[in-house]
Amino acid sequence: MTLSAYLALALILFCIGLYGALTKRNTVIVLICIELMLNAVNINFVAFAKYGAHPGVRGHVFALFAIAVAAAEAAVGLAALIAFYRSRKTVQVDEANSLKH
Amino acid sequence: MTFLSLLVFSPLLGIVLLMFVRKTDAKMIQWLGTAATVPPLILALFAFIQSGRGFRLEQLDEARDWVRLTDLPFLTDTAYVIRYELGIDGLSLVFIVLTAVLATLAAVASMLVKTEKKGFFLWLLALEIGMLGVFAAANFVWFFLFLEVTLVAMFFLVGKWGGFERERAAYGYLLYNGLGSALLLVVIAVLIARTGTANFALLHEMLHNPVAQGQWIAPLTEEGRRWLLGGLLLAFAVKLPAVPLHRWLIRVHVEAPPPVVMLHAGVLLKIAAYGMIRFGVGLFPDEFRAFAGAIAVFGVINVLYGALLALRQRELKHVLAYSSVSHMGVVLIGLGALNEAGIQGAVFQSVAHGLISALSFLLVGVLAHRMGTTDINRLGGLAKAMPLFSGYLLTAALALLGLPGMAGFVGEFTSFLGLFQTKPALAAAGALGLIFAAVYSLKAILDITFGRACDRQEAVVGWRDPQVSAASLGELQGGVVDLQAKEAVPAFILVALIVAVGVYPQLLAAPLDAVVETMMNGLGG
Amino acid sequence: MMNLAWIVPLFPLGSFILLLLFGQRWKQASAYVGIAATLLSLLLAFAVLVDRLGGSTYEANWTWMTLGDVTLTAGISVTALNAWMLVVVALVSWLVHVYSQGYMAGDERFSTFYAYLGLFTFAMLGLVLSPNLLQAYIFWELVGLGSFLLIGFYFYKEEAKAAAKKAFIMTRIGDVGFFIGMMLLFWQTNSFDYDDIFRAVGDGTLSPGMTMLAAILIFIGAIGKSGQFPLHTWLPDAMEGPTPVSALIHAATMVAAGVYLVAALFPLYEASHAAMMTVAAIGGVTAIFAATIGLVQTDIKRVLAYSTISQLGYMMLALGAGSYVAAIFHLTTHAFFKALLFLAAGSVIHAVHTQNIEEMGGLWRRLPWTAPLFLIGALSISGVPLFAGFFSKDEILAAAWTNGPRLLFWLAVAAALLTSFYMFRLFFLVFAGKARRHEDAHEAPASMVAPMLVLGVLSIASGYMQTPWFGSFLGEWLTDGTYHHEAAPGWIAVIATVVSLAGILLAWLMYGAQKMPRDWLSARVPYIDELLRRHYYIDDIYRFTVVALVSFISRLLAYVDRFLVEGLARLAAGIVGAAASAGSRGQNGQVQTYGAVTVSGLAILVVIFALTGGYWL
Repeated sequence: MTLSAYLALALILFCIGLYGALTKRNTVIVLICIELMLNAVNINFVAFAKYGAHPGVRGHVFALFAIAVAAAEAAVGLAALIAFYRSRKTVQVDEANSLKH
Repeated sequence: MTFLSLLVFSPLLGIVLLMFVRKTDAKMIQWLGTAATVPPLILALFAFIQSGRGFRLEQLDEARDWVRLTDLPFLTDTAYVIRYELGIDGLSLVFIVLTAVLATLAAVASMLVKTEKKGFFLWLLALEIGMLGVFAAANFVWFFLFLEVTLVAMFFLVGKWGGFERERAAYGYLLYNGLGSALLLVVIAVLIARTGTANFALLHEMLHNPVAQGQWIAPLTEEGRRWLLGGLLLAFAVKLPAVPLHRWLIRVHVEAPPPVVMLHAGVLLKIAAYGMIRFGVGLFPDEFRAFAGAIAVFGVINVLYGALLALRQRELKHVLAYSSVSHMGVVLIGLGALNEAGIQGAVFQSVAHGLISALSFLLVGVLAHRMGTTDINRLGGLAKAMPLFSGYLLTAALALLGLPGMAGFVGEFTSFLGLFQTKPALAAAGALGLIFAAVYSLKAILDITFGRACDRQEAVVGWRDPQVSAASLGELQGGVVDLQAKEAVPAFILVALIVAVGVYPQLLAAPLDAVVETMMNGLGG
Repeated sequence: MMNLAWIVPLFPLGSFILLLLFGQRWKQASAYVGIAATLLSLLLAFAVLVDRLGGSTYEANWTWMTLGDVTLTAGISVTALNAWMLVVVALVSWLVHVYSQGYMAGDERFSTFYAYLGLFTFAMLGLVLSPNLLQAYIFWELVGLGSFLLIGFYFYKEEAKAAAKKAFIMTRIGDVGFFIGMMLLFWQTNSFDYDDIFRAVGDGTLSPGMTMLAAILIFIGAIGKSGQFPLHTWLPDAMEGPTPVSALIHAATMVAAGVYLVAALFPLYEASHAAMMTVAAIGGVTAIFAATIGLVQTDIKRVLAYSTISQLGYMMLALGAGSYVAAIFHLTTHAFFKALLFLAAGSVIHAVHTQNIEEMGGLWRRLPWTAPLFLIGALSISGVPLFAGFFSKDEILAAAWTNGPRLLFWLAVAAALLTSFYMFRLFFLVFAGKARRHEDAHEAPASMVAPMLVLGVLSIASGYMQTPWFGSFLGEWLTDGTYHHEAAPGWIAVIATVVSLAGILLAWLMYGAQKMPRDWLSARVPYIDELLRRHYYIDDIYRFTVVALVSFISRLLAYVDRFLVEGLARLAAGIVGAAASAGSRGQNGQVQTYGAVTVSGLAILVVIFALTGGYWL
């Protein structure tokens, strides 16, 4: 297995995530897509840590950090989402516009 | 030394003091505002006289650290350091003196401004700081900063104190000049990114000295230089303005209050000439050669186009606006000649037009105040009621048409002298503009001052200048007042300067000589 | 004394400045300032002339402006021609200053008048001292300014305003020719100095084509200033100015400046046959052309104005025929007798308050001084033997016969006939016959008569400087002894005499004795009469060609400016506006849209990076 195979996988994951985050109107799906992008980054970290120019453990550390931050983000995001759902009875992104006008 | 900083920022003292004056105390505001323009005038004249006695202007250079953009280990100490740098040479000094003189006279002429005097003077002084700074700046970043100060100050001066269409004029001004500035900014940014410096002297060194090429952060191709010069010229062509980018100028001339136009036509347009000479000829001499022909052609177009359109106008301010277009064409002609005579001619013409248009608009201000209109069709025979004023107006017209013995002739003569050496046929075509200049200026001025006296009531009905407020409209009911002493003094000073430059141009040629010679060396003789 | 010649023009300049500053206070006393200043100039000019008579040319230069390695100088040059002109100008100017004291008495702007006279005299004296073309051009324009100011002196008259404007613009057209010619010479020789230019002509640095071009372009300047065809139309209109001004500027001095300029540049013209022919042809045509118009004028000053144009044509003809001396000689005698005629005409106008000669008549007895003096002037200009005009005109005819084309000679003879006819038509209509109205007409004050007397004496005496009988002092002195009188056939003098007497006789028959009907010619060929009365429609031709063309172009450009240029500006503004509203549609508050925009921006940057490797340009 070469580095480019991992990078290709990460790229595909990232693009799927990006597409979903930019187009889906359901907030839950948007959050899931963001997780996808984060995981694509994690794959890159780990792949570079193994096959990059300077192999070492630093990539793994960063991947763990990213997972921790992603968990926190998901927790806060979902909490905000539930609060939003309670007040508006919807989870559609484009209906969250009461601060806009 | 902090001489230059003092020179540039001394009007700031006036601004601070003005803050404490009550808005309604018009007399105090007028007095203080005028006084605030005096220190730069004294300092500028002092520097001018000293340099005439052999004082070396480089001794005035000053520099302080200001911004350090990066701290990369592989860069030298000077790269990407933007410093606060001021410095002048003969060329800038000429323009600085012009600015200081006109600013004081414009401040005196501002007595005809009646509304919101305090704000007016605040902006006027800010404008002066900007103009002085543009000419005193020794690096691109500060040049640009000062340039933007003038832009903002002019916008408010035109937009708030102008005529009926003042807002349109102000936005037109902002749009055109903003685009010009944006282009200029791109050029400046590229230069700084490539060379790591914004200092004129350093840039000059890096662009010309093959040894210094090694210090480039990233090299610039021949074509790249040409693009940069093109952008630079286009940016200044907007500000000059060159046909067909002149429409904003017409509106500003017509709508802005006359004291502001004194500064605008007198100094702001000259920033473009200064920029073209300093950066175009100074930094990119070889590439400039390729553009010279086109510049000369544009110059001739400007001269003829402006003059022919001025022929048709029946509003004095329009005539003067188009004559400005025509006269700035002469600057382009001088630059297009690209020899010593031509470049000196361009500077002479800039100074001459500065003085002459200041005189014209000083008188236009008085005329609008007295008669309530500057519409030529409504006026006539003023020489009877206002002999002194008419004498000055006639003098202005003669200066405008380039009568020998006045500054305008020296500018036109030297510029044409330059172009005749390189492109005689083109120059001959441009010389036809001299005929049209005589026609439009005499036609306009004689229709106002000579002939049958106009009916004053009829003339006043057409008043359209909001600055002629109800109060002065009341004054209009009485007899016409001739030029008063406080108006005659600035007019006299301007006429004296115009004649002095016209009779003895060496006065200006002396400080320029060294600068122009350096540029000629850059051009390779 | 020659090294002090630079002071000569400064006296009138001082008078101009003083009168401008204090004239309002001094009122009538202003005249004394002007008269004193010009008298000083005159005395000094005489001293310079005396000095020059025995000496050689004096020249001095000072730096005026440095342009890199080129230094432009200003200075004075006292050649024989310049010293001579200096005296002629100073003399006529002083006499006119004296005369004006009576003529302008009581005018509201008396001191202004004297100030302007001073300015003009300064410029004219400066012009004839110039050692180089640039300085000549500067003063050339300044005399135009003096002329303009004085023509428009009665500024409240619409005619005066139009005339002043026209004079300035028409001469400016010529001046631009002068300007271009001067610049071309500088381009080729790198100097404005007469001497350098002549040297370049001599050693062939200046190609023949360029010599011709420059000479003809400079001659256009002379055409404008000297009222030659086709730029003459301003001169008759210039008669709107006060009469002393017409005498000084539009007869004796400024209009002769064109002749002076060509004379000063004579070596340049001599080098080009084509240029010489042009000068001669324009001169000859103008001489006859203006004389024919003079036949039918009814305004006393306009008759004199057309006669001036015609006489200047003579001078040009002389120059073109290669006789420098004859031209300057005629210039001098003409300055005296034409100034005399104008001053006398001014005296007549002063007496009867009209300029229409058909309303005058029988003034011989009422104006006992003016009338004989006018007669002297008329005899002189007509070329009656023993008067100054006879000798100078004879010299010109001889030159035209020997060097010029035959046609031009016969034109000149015909013009001489017409000249004596219209001058005596004028004389008989004004002074002879019954007194028509104007019972109260009386002679002018002594201050007006005295200058006329001096000029009357000069109108006779000045001819004897250069005669076939007593030798040619003037010619030998002007040419430093190289002059030799043209061996012209003796019958030319006879023809000239016959022609001038015939003209007088014809005028006497028609207007004096009234033996012939006045409309003898006009009744037979009415269309010619109409043509002459309308000045050959020249003004109308200009109005429908040049003026119409310029105003058409100007109007066209006005539309271009208003619609095309402004339209482009609006289009640019519109595009910016459209881009703004398109852009603001993206600014919808949806984070997802913002994200999309960010990503596409990044994508574009990446593409650019991939294509250029990071550097653009």
